[in-house]
Amino acid sequence: MANFKINEYDKSREWFNRATKVIPSGVYGHLGPAEGNFIPVSAWPFFSEKAKGTYFWDVDGNKFIDYMCAYGPNIMGYNDPDVDKAALEQAKSGNCITSPSYKMVELAELMVDTVKSADWAFFAKNGNDVTTLAIMAARNATHRKKIIFVNGFYHGVSAVVQKIDYPGVLPEDVANNLYVDWNDFDALEKLVAENEGEIAAFISTPYLHGNYFDNQLPADGYWQKVRNLCTEKGIVLIVDDVRAGFRLDVAGSDHYYGFEADMICFCKAIANGWNVSCLCGKDFLKDAVSGMSYTGSYWMSAIPFAAGIANITKMRELNLPVILKEKGQKLCDGLKEAGKNNGFDLVVSGEPALFYLRIANDNTMMLHQAWIAECVKRGIFFAGHHNHFINYALSDADIKHTLEVADEAFKVVKKEHPEAF
Amino acid sequence: MTDAKTLAYINMYAVLGTLENLCELDPKASALVADIKPISVGFEVKDGPSATITFKNGRCRMEQGCTDCDIKLPFSSCEKFNGLIDGTVTPIPSKGFIHIKFLLNTFTKLTDILTAYMRPSEEDLKDEEFFNMSTTLMFYTITVAISQIGNYDKIGKFSAEHIVDGDIMMSIKGGPKSTIRAKNGHLVTIKKAPEDPRSVMEFGSMKLANDLFNGKVSAMAQIGEGNITMSGMINMLDNMNRILDRVGLYLA
Repeated sequence: MANFKINEYDKSREWFNRATKVIPSGVYGHLGPAEGNFIPVSAWPFFSEKAKGTYFWDVDGNKFIDYMCAYGPNIMGYNDPDVDKAALEQAKSGNCITSPSYKMVELAELMVDTVKSADWAFFAKNGNDVTTLAIMAARNATHRKKIIFVNGFYHGVSAVVQKIDYPGVLPEDVANNLYVDWNDFDALEKLVAENEGEIAAFISTPYLHGNYFDNQLPADGYWQKVRNLCTEKGIVLIVDDVRAGFRLDVAGSDHYYGFEADMICFCKAIANGWNVSCLCGKDFLKDAVSGMSYTGSYWMSAIPFAAGIANITKMRELNLPVILKEKGQKLCDGLKEAGKNNGFDLVVSGEPALFYLRIANDNTMMLHQAWIAECVKRGIFFAGHHNHFINYALSDADIKHTLEVADEAFKVVKKEHPEAF
Repeated sequence: MTDAKTLAYINMYAVLGTLENLCELDPKASALVADIKPISVGFEVKDGPSATITFKNGRCRMEQGCTDCDIKLPFSSCEKFNGLIDGTVTPIPSKGFIHIKFLLNTFTKLTDILTAYMRPSEEDLKDEEFFNMSTTLMFYTITVAISQIGNYDKIGKFSAEHIVDGDIMMSIKGGPKSTIRAKNGHLVTIKKAPEDPRSVMEFGSMKLANDLFNGKVSAMAQIGEGNITMSGMINMLDNMNRILDRVGLYLA
């Protein structure tokens, strides 16, 4: 049946064996094989050699159409010539310098001009830097302790945004964290009433794009009611747009859903892979951030600022989110149809530019995992239980090829699991 | 970071409960209770667990509660019961003094054999048969402890509440299998494979499992190397593994 080459990963494993000797877990965190997205792990490469456009090549020379996009940063295509040209030009002038480059000011001005709710911009390196800053700033501004999170959340790795059962986290670290279900405004209102005058912030992604479950969009009017409640009760409304930022709307995902956050966190797609994150906020929170001790050795490096300016400018010129949505919709429609033609109920959820996949024929995910693995073995890089990402370099030909591989993968899984049909 | 009540449930169901498997799998243990008149020992812990262990025909079986037992050992607190297990408290039966000889001889010999398997010397582990038995009994103890921690430990309960309903199969390839059954955030361990698991986590060999239990290898790296395999509802395993991380705190 196999028309497409089946990948082998001998060199990836050799590198992994070397890695485990000197690096905890070999590959730690979200890119690693122990995160639960690579099932079975034998179907996935562990190390890359190079990347270009919508593709990357692993150390065994296998080529992949990459639907994880480095888990978000690749929005324009790997090594985009315009973005990289700006970065490399800046490298000739300087990067990490005693006085920050004026490029920081230029990027801040561009962020404020681009992001609808932004009056200022503060730069760091990773999403966690700015989600943590947002929470601390909300506490500083309100002199309140408690933070409301949405169940299923992920806002980084600081102790305050982790959960009580995570290794290394103390109950005291999360003692002021409150939890509410997504889209459940009544529960949120009740929680706020029960903690009147104690809640510093409500933090949420623009829609629920967590792992292991179908992603959920905001119910009609949900965000507007949340906005009003936060305003009425003096609660800082923080939107974590680290993952979805610039893929739905260059003006921010809050703008996309018709409301304004008090602070909004960006990272992944700002500079197409050059490392910079950004917290934007309203004027009334500017002093709260100014007064905090919060900085990092590389946070004012100039190369990512130059890359960010080029990338945001290009995204604006292209009106990129519209293009990404069209590409994502085309791909998702094709995948669903291929599934249907082979007897699979493929559920697609979330926004098309960050689509989430789940085969619903069984309640164990085992068929889903088998199908995803068959795709990856044939050069389509999906992850088992994480939303995917569309980038600008993805072509119609890439989508067509993806659908052909997906079809073959469905057929293979169906043949190997006749009991399910 | 631990609490006496959770430890009492672990000591009752995960530690003493492993006597069931010991008598089933170890001929010496089985022989000790093969030719005796059936006898049952009840443990009743105030504000804690209660269970009865019955020895009959070379086998042993634990059931919850101790309303009908030949010997009854009451404990005024979870701490006192935990003292029995770590050897610092001597129990006084409230019922069944005439069977005290069984407690002092046979029962003590059984627990001594169990202790030898649960806290083995490096020398003993060089014997393959002993190694496999030790690993198997540890596996059952750990898988039962998972449910106790998920049901009683404050942090473990947080993890258990995030496990969706269904059966998790935890197994060692070519060795023992257990079911961790989750329903409405409550966990029950059944010491056999489930018929229809929603998720599976399997250790690739007895040696790997033993090394993991003794902290000699990294679970994360072993997943990457494919020596620990996972499938199905990964979020069930993700939350269960957070509980598994806490087992060592209680059983150390």
